[in-house]
This record gives sequence, C-alpha cells and structure tokens, in this order.
Amino acid sequence: MVNIENLSFGYTRKQSLFNQLMLALEPGHIYGLLGRNGAGKTTLLKVIAGLVFPREGVSKVAGFESRNRVPEYLEDICFIPEEYHLPSIRISRYVSLNAPFYKRFDHEKLSWLMKEFQLNPEHKLHQLSFGQKKKFLLAFGLSTSARLMLMDEPTNGLDIPSKSQFRRVIAASLTEEQSVVISTHQVRDLETLIDPIIIIDEGKIIFQKSLAEISNSLAFETVEEIKENVQPIYFEEALGGYTTIMPNTKGKDTKMDLELLFNGVIANTKGINQAFKS
Amino acid sequence: MKTNNIFSFRRLYLLLRRQILSNAMSLLIAFGAVAGAMLVVTLLSGFLQPQEVSNLTGLYLTVMFIGGFVFTSNIYAELHHPQRSYQYLTLPVSNTERLAGAWAISAVLFPLVSVLAMALIVLIANLVLNIIMNVSPFYSVFTGGTWTAVKIYVVTQSMFLAGAAYFSKNNFLKTVLTLFVASMILQFVFAIAAWLILSPLDPGPGFSMQMQHMTPQLEQLILTYIPNTAKVVFWYLWAPFFLVITWFSLKERQV
Repeated sequence: MVNIENLSFGYTRKQSLFNQLMLALEPGHIYGLLGRNGAGKTTLLKVIAGLVFPREGVSKVAGFESRNRVPEYLEDICFIPEEYHLPSIRISRYVSLNAPFYKRFDHEKLSWLMKEFQLNPEHKLHQLSFGQKKKFLLAFGLSTSARLMLMDEPTNGLDIPSKSQFRRVIAASLTEEQSVVISTHQVRDLETLIDPIIIIDEGKIIFQKSLAEISNSLAFETVEEIKENVQPIYFEEALGGYTTIMPNTKGKDTKMDLELLFNGVIANTKGINQAFKS
Repeated sequence: MKTNNIFSFRRLYLLLRRQILSNAMSLLIAFGAVAGAMLVVTLLSGFLQPQEVSNLTGLYLTVMFIGGFVFTSNIYAELHHPQRSYQYLTLPVSNTERLAGAWAISAVLFPLVSVLAMALIVLIANLVLNIIMNVSPFYSVFTGGTWTAVKIYVVTQSMFLAGAAYFSKNNFLKTVLTLFVASMILQFVFAIAAWLILSPLDPGPGFSMQMQHMTPQLEQLILTYIPNTAKVVFWYLWAPFFLVITWFSLKERQV
C-alpha cells in the first residue's frame, strides 16, 4: 500500500531530517509510528500525504506518487492533523459540501459515528470543543472509506472516555483493505490498538516489528535486582525493582510494555534488533 | 470506472459549490457593504447633480477593479492557512480544477455579479430619485465601454491570481509591489534598448528622436508591428501565461 524508497528530506538545504529512508506498509494494519520530539513523525505523514515533497527518493501510495496529488490517490487517503481549523458552518453543511468528493463516502457509517461521538449535525463546527472537532474529523475521515488513514496524535485533546471510544471505533470500523498510520507519543493510549510498531529516529526507521514478532523475541519482566550473569537488553528503575527487556529465549508469554520498548529501542537499537535475529 | 485525474466537470462543480457556499456569508457581507456604499454615493450624486449620475460608471468600474483584485488575491486563502491548507490540498481534485475553480469565481462570476450589481444600483437609484425628486437619470451600464473594462479586468486579474497562489501572506500588496518593480525594470530595459537602437539615427546632441530620421522599416516596426504585437500579447497571451504560473504554483505548493 505505501512504499517509500530512499527518501531524503530536510526543511533546509543544510539539515536533513531523513536520509535514504525506506518504509513499506501493508493493508489491514494499524501502524503505530513512534519517535522522539522532532524525529520527523509528522513530516513522514505529510510526505505520504503529498503535503511536503522529498528532496530525493519517492513515496508511493497504491502505485501513485504522493507528490503528484492526483484525485484518485487523494480519494484513497485521509490525513487528520494534530492541529486544524474548521470553517464556521454547520456539521451537516460541511458534510454536504465535502462528502461528494469521495465516491465511496459512507453516510450510514457517518451517522453511526456521529451517534457514537454524540455529535449533533446541526451544531456549528467552530462552536465545538477541540475534542469534539477532533471526533468529527475522525468520523468524517473514517466515513470517506479511504484506504489509508494518516493520524497525527489523534488522542491529543480527547478526554479519558473518548480515548477508549476512539480505540473501539477505529477497531470496529476498519476493513482488511484499509490501513491506518498513527503517529503518537502517547503510547499508553494506543498500545492495545497499534500493530505493528514503527520507531523512527535520526532520520531512519530503526525498528519495525509486529506485536507477534515482539512477544516471540522479547520478554518484558520486572525483577528486584539486575544480576550480573543475566544482563537485560534494556532496563529501567521502577517501584520495587527494575523493568527489563530480555531476549525471549524460553518462549515466555509476557505483557508488552510499549513505553519500555520505545525507550529500549532508542537507547539500545542494536541490542533490541539483535534479539530478533537470534 | 476509471477516474480522470486531470479534469472532471463534476469535481469542478463540487469545488465551486464548496468554495462559494463555505464562504457565502462573508462574501455576501462584503459584496453588500460595497454595493450599499455605491448606492449611497449614487443617491447623493443624484440629489445634488442628477444630470451627472451617468458619469458614475467610471467609479463603479474602478471599485470593481480594485475589489476584484483584492478578492482574487484572497481566493487561495485556504491554501495558505497553516491549519486549513492540508484540507484543501488533500481534497480529491486536480490542480487544473483548483485553478479553473478559482479562475471561474474571480474572473467570470465576480465581474458578472459586479455588472449586475451596477445595473441594480442604477435601477434602485432611479426609482428612489423618481419618487422623491421626480427625475429619472436612468442610463444603461451595459455599454461597450463597460464590456471592454470587463475584458481588461479578466486579463489583468490573472496576475493577481498568480500572486494569490504564489505568495503566502499579504498577497494583494505583494502582487502590487511585484508588478510595480517589474514594470520599472521593463521600462528601464526598453529605454536602454530604444536608446541603443535609435541613438545612432539621431544626428543631434542628446537624444531626441524625430520621425524624419527613421528608416521606413524602423517606422513600420515602431508604429505597426510593436503595437500590434503588444495587443496580441495582452489579449491572448498575458492571461494564459499567468494562469500557467498559477498552475505550477499550485502543483509545487507544500504545507
């Protein structure tokens, strides 16, 4: 579905954000795109959406080059940014003006999502709260039936019940043909939703594994002390001991800690990736 | 069914509908305010000098030109708004449709509505003056002069359309400044070229060209070929050139 080859990009000529970045995304997954602040998560989504152009290399979605922004390609992507501005019109009018651009727009799904999110079509968009606006954009985006949804920090601004509502709605409304890429730093909000995990750092994809691969190769354990003969790949101090990432040599079934994994990948990329080879 | 990725009348219609209806209220308020001011000026002029009312066409057209250029300069406001541009650029329409939609609104619909508004202002002013003062300074705004002005507007507004797509902020002022600087440079280049070509023909001191010093070929060039070429360039090439620039600006636009 998404193929990025040898992507180089920088906002200035001297500084490069991405250098020869490679990425391939398959349909039917909800990808979690993680990275430190300024790692280029949002920029990568914008490259895929054709909103910024690579300096070198190419980004293709379903065979279409992103930067060409042809209508057939645009019908198949939906980009939900972290910050947005909606016009001062009613929800119903926004839908009547924008939905006809999408041939596969599902009005029934929109009605269902609007009910789920408790949104009234007669409400004016500019009078909604930030979270309500985000819910509306999500509802509209999901209803376009776009095959690729790009979401930048989608849970920012959502209250606690809305976050679980968001996870439920995303999981329930996607088909096998669709893919979602969620860029987030709030890993706890989405760790039950995203699979595979992609971690980006210093202009490169340093980690891209499915949850199954992770739980097969890594064990997440809490120990009271770090023994000299059993060195973890990564560990953090925690209440009453240490949380660790170990090579899962014994086939243990442990609960993945996404935040720990992220920190581990950033701190010891080589060590973590090595565990998948052995 | 295969999607036409270059141009579709259906998508153009949807884009026009979206553009007009999304901004309907602010467009109506702006247009109403200007038309109201013009009506007041017409009525005042009618009360004071009823025989001079027909001279107001020039004022109407000046307002149409300035208003049209400002309106055109803001036609791509959504494209330059940091939090709205993503929506406009990911809307499933082609760059040709984005260009055609903006051109149709600013170069066709705007002057059409403006001329109709002029006619309406004259009609209302005529009715009011007829009731109050029993005078009817009625005249038609649909004259040859008006249509020539509209044609000139259609050609010249293309420069402001290019400025609307190219510049991110203060589009109108930046376009005016660019045109001023460009015209200064062109005048300078033409003056130098004229001096280089014509000064050898001038036998006297300084540089004051007299017709009798010109060769027949040069006279024909200056009096016939250059004006005719300038007319062709202005009426047939000027607007397409700036529309192409606009198209490329849209194509290369990033957020």
